[in-house]
Amino acid sequence: MSDAVEDGSVPPLGTIYCYLTEGCNLACRHCWLAPKFDADGSGHAVLPVDVFEGVVREAKPLGLSSVKFTGGEPLLHPRFGDLVEIASKAGVSVQVETNGLLCTPETARLIAGAPRPFVSVSIDGADAATHEWLRGIAGSFDKACRAVRNLSEAGLAPQVVMTLVRENMGQIEAVVRMAERLGAGSVRFNMVEPTARGADLGRANALPGVEELVAAGRIVDSDLAARTRMSLHFDIPQAFRPLGRIARSDESCGILTILGLLSTGHYALCGIGMQVKELVFGMAGKDNLSGIWRGSRVLGEIRAGLPQRLQGVCGRCLMNSRCLGACLAQNYYRLGSMWGPYWFCEQAEEQGLFPSTRVGGTV
Amino acid sequence: MKLDDAPVPNPVVVLREESDDWAILFNPDTSAAVGTNPVGVEIWKQADGTRSLRDIAATVARRFSNVPEGASGEVLSFADELARDGFFGVAEGAEG
Ligand code: SF4
Repeated sequence: MSDAVEDGSVPPLGTIYCYLTEGCNLACRHCWLAPKFDADGSGHAVLPVDVFEGVVREAKPLGLSSVKFTGGEPLLHPRFGDLVEIASKAGVSVQVETNGLLCTPETARLIAGAPRPFVSVSIDGADAATHEWLRGIAGSFDKACRAVRNLSEAGLAPQVVMTLVRENMGQIEAVVRMAERLGAGSVRFNMVEPTARGADLGRANALPGVEELVAAGRIVDSDLAARTRMSLHFDIPQAFRPLGRIARSDESCGILTILGLLSTGHYALCGIGMQVKELVFGMAGKDNLSGIWRGSRVLGEIRAGLPQRLQGVCGRCLMNSRCLGACLAQNYYRLGSMWGPYWFCEQAEEQGLFPSTRVGGTV
Repeated sequence: MKLDDAPVPNPVVVLREESDDWAILFNPDTSAAVGTNPVGVEIWKQADGTRSLRDIAATVARRFSNVPEGASGEVLSFADELARDGFFGVAEGAEG
């Protein structure tokens, strides 16, 4: 255990976000990673199995407790089962983010057999027309719904993830009811980050404004959540979430304990490494993971700088030691600086919507 | 703190109440902030330097159906937390 993390300034490497495929079998209008379209997973880079195995081996002494398989589309990986087996043998919990197209009953059972499994499936509307408007492929709605059922029948409590655009804002409750019928355990509502295709959607005026999102979040948190057996999570910066809801969840940004592993084998802050080369830290198998985790200049700056280096409204926000500036990767993409302010809260403040109780200074 | 102590709120601290009856206690001098549930809000409002923590615990037990009669331990640890962070002081000679 010579690599065990003992230095108090270096947190454990808890989770690796594994972007298994460069391609995706959907063509979502909002995707923040903009992967290349790939109907069957044969056309673009996939993370080599031996690279993943080596990364898990190196990461265990650093504190690895879970891997998140995402993409692109993780189930397009031709040896997905081998990856699950490697994680399982290492006793590492397996999380999967999928569009559900390839989630057969066998795949659902495979994931259910992994340690502490968790799967989320993207469904963006309560009907095929709405979902497929956003996801770009006919038939994807039925397959996503079937995936949730398959996962539920395999004994999991899958999460439905709904990405909010103008087109589907009126379907929030309908998606919750549909998720209940499909056997989901929770629903998460995501905002579109203005990165890659998400930025194009924003320019096309297809995204809800800050005010609409704040209002929808309030309805979900203070009304809808009490009327469903499932847990609901509205992904909005913490300044906008009721304190009672924050206290009951243990959600806070994991940026201090995660690392991204791209399909090319590169280590990065997260999937943003596909868009921003400065946030790529080295190459798995070639560069020593312990050296990167302990010695990366960017990771060191983040550890030393959060939350006190956050700028603008994030610097004054009373939630910043918990929120950690919402998304440093997004800040970097937009501003060339990780320290923000985060676009959503900046816009909210400009529009007079930022809650006065959550900001430092006198009100 | 002890149950017979009467906590005194730091006069610079502001109680910022929110719509769900939770609140943030904020010290503008230090920028320290702590979020609290409705029971904590009531404890803060009761603390005026004359009421002991024992009396305050009895009051919150009467007002909140989810607070049991013998919850003085929780009240004490909440008050300790606030005292540690400089939100509460103790009134001189307010024993009893
Ligand atoms: S202002 Fe910044 S730190 Fe505060 S909730 Fe918004 S994003 Fe998070």
